[in-house]
Amino acid sequence: MKRRVIAAVGIGMTLGLTATACGGDDSGDKAKGNGSGKGKTLTVWIMEGTNPDPEPFFKEAAAAFKKQTGASIKVEYQQWASAQKKFTTAIEGGKDQVPDVAEVGTTWVPQFAETGALVDVTDKVKESGLSDDLVAGLQDAGTLDGKQYGMPWYAGVRSIVYRTDVFDKHGLKAPTTWKELQATAKTLKEKEPGMVAFPVAGGAEMFAAPFVWGAGGELAVEEGGQWKSAINSADAVKGIAYYTGLATKDKVSPAKVNTWTEKEVGDAWNKGQIAMAVGGNWTPKAIMEGNPDLKGKLAAVPIPGQTGGMSKSFLGGSYLSTFQTDQQDLAWEFVKMLTTGEFATKWAEQTNYFPGQNSELEKVAAQKDPLVEPFAQQMMEAGATVPKTKAYGEIQASKVIPRMVQSILNGKANVQQAADKAAKEMDAIFAKDK
Amino acid sequence: MKDTLTRGGPDPQTRRPPPVQPPAPDTPARRRKRLITRTRPWLLLAPALLVLAGLLLWPMIQVGKLSLQEYEVRFGGGVGTYIGLDNYAELVSSELLWKTVLPNTAFFAFACVGLTVALGTLVALLLNRLGTTWRLICSLAIMAAWAMPAVTGTYVWIWLFQPGDGLFSHLAEGLGLIDPETTNWFTQRLPFYAIATLNVVHHGFPFVAITVLAGLLTIPKELYEAGMIDGANAWQRFWQITVPTIRPVFLVVTILSTIWDFKVFTQIFLMPGGDGSNPDVFNLGVYSYIEAFAENDYGTGAAAAVLLTLLLLAITIVYIRTLFRQGEEDL
Repeated sequence: MKRRVIAAVGIGMTLGLTATACGGDDSGDKAKGNGSGKGKTLTVWIMEGTNPDPEPFFKEAAAAFKKQTGASIKVEYQQWASAQKKFTTAIEGGKDQVPDVAEVGTTWVPQFAETGALVDVTDKVKESGLSDDLVAGLQDAGTLDGKQYGMPWYAGVRSIVYRTDVFDKHGLKAPTTWKELQATAKTLKEKEPGMVAFPVAGGAEMFAAPFVWGAGGELAVEEGGQWKSAINSADAVKGIAYYTGLATKDKVSPAKVNTWTEKEVGDAWNKGQIAMAVGGNWTPKAIMEGNPDLKGKLAAVPIPGQTGGMSKSFLGGSYLSTFQTDQQDLAWEFVKMLTTGEFATKWAEQTNYFPGQNSELEKVAAQKDPLVEPFAQQMMEAGATVPKTKAYGEIQASKVIPRMVQSILNGKANVQQAADKAAKEMDAIFAKDK
Repeated sequence: MKDTLTRGGPDPQTRRPPPVQPPAPDTPARRRKRLITRTRPWLLLAPALLVLAGLLLWPMIQVGKLSLQEYEVRFGGGVGTYIGLDNYAELVSSELLWKTVLPNTAFFAFACVGLTVALGTLVALLLNRLGTTWRLICSLAIMAAWAMPAVTGTYVWIWLFQPGDGLFSHLAEGLGLIDPETTNWFTQRLPFYAIATLNVVHHGFPFVAITVLAGLLTIPKELYEAGMIDGANAWQRFWQITVPTIRPVFLVVTILSTIWDFKVFTQIFLMPGGDGSNPDVFNLGVYSYIEAFAENDYGTGAAAAVLLTLLLLAITIVYIRTLFRQGEEDL
């Protein structure tokens, strides 16, 4: 009997050992100094991948900051895929665990702000005379109940990227309406059967959203302080039907694309398999790096509106936010340094993203670079944000939109059924997070 | 327990408890000796148990606590409000759980366990017959499959079955079995899990093979010789001699495989559509992750984890009971 108990404990432990997946927490130690600036160290979290080689940039920034304040900078690079979880863990840990300054994706701001971890910098922004120059859509994305939680650092937007060599070969022109987009894709499909004419990527939420907005629909609307899904409204459904119809009816996107995310679309670009696709302002440079043969063979055009003009596209970006640590004021100085003037321009140049200030953005647009200007136009004239609430972050993480698109592409539901289901899922999450 | 599991020898003597002294007058010395005999195993186990309690029992208790709470992340420490069994009620009333998540988890696990143990045993039998050099070469080859990280392995399998581009897609296309324009194996439940099963079995069978081989090496040759003299063919020798002799080894590999295969997460999550965009292919691990970390509903996520643990405990208890019943019969 005794042995049986020991054995049971042993098995129980083995079971526990294998059944509990423990999330690792490896947030680095933070050096804390005394005195004003001198001897202090700011911990800074920066996302990896935006700038292909960020180290020289931050070396320079750290040197400039040391000269200005005497404080040192310690940069820790984070992965986009795991950062949200890491932030959440650090926030739970409180002021000893969170960084002093961090790059925060705009869609994360509501969630982090609600926990009380981010510093409201509205007054500081006003004092510094910066508030009038910020790109409106971007400033709005990080402002909740009139409180701004950080400085817009850089932004990006998706338009349509296409292969000029393929278009020229078949005498095609960049589409300016939905009808033209459809006709162009169909011609490409016919003339270039080895290529994907226009990927309808089931895993890419931001490929589908422009068509919802372009049809006059919304993802969700706020009514009296409560968010409600709008994805199954008549207009939204029209947009979804058009977008998914490109795959299901016009067959310009083969079945393999049904499970693609933007990453797989990027891989296919690099292999030269894509003729035209929704793509971000960072995409052309990434493609040309991945496949130097395509240099000079890419062009961009804003996502066309139904009968002309532009369809709105998600204006995403990053904030530099300060956390509630003991070094808030010092942290703000660093944020100000990075998001304005010389360093802001340099970062935008190195990353191919757009700066968060109108004055800087106009400078970029004025360069008339054919791979930049269409995006700048899209950003200034037809940028859209997703619902500004913690719940929408959860809706995105739960992949409600990709689920909807995939179930249509895989023939498991018709457009209206899929949209109704997505609306139900959204509302369930909105209701939980009032 | 340890004896039965690792040695698994046919000698019943090794499994018998230490011989009990015949009743004798109770002297203080004898009483002390008995006290020592009784506490010694626990004293020896104590350090390991303490470490395990700290690293495993404590988190498990926390997960249990969390599953009874509505939890909200706050700066400097979250706030949990006890809401009784609401999370469980929400969980068991979910249609997705009963129609998709549990069937996926269970069928997938049983398929994987069956195939892993069968394949592992076959490979072990093969290794057992080989000479030293070839056994080394084969062992190294299967070790490579074992040593491959789950993430890498999964990407390789995805790549092989990648619609339109993968090796198997090309083969199927060449044979005229599929139309690459309209086939995407990752979108349907059955092909999705078939690929996942291949992946998990490929990653899991080396452990079974090596463990069963270790068991096979302990079986005395005489048993087989006797069997051959009695006219038993290879099939009969396997079922009448090999299997009963190393049954405990099979039991252990089956228990462990069951536990591992029930809680497969990485291999599903990394597959196209497995990260939440295709609810048809959810298993308990992914479901719990989506609830907890995507929807920030830590309570329901924890409840799903507790459910998984209970499920595994139940299965394990059944196994252990069979093991001990077997042991008692032998004695």
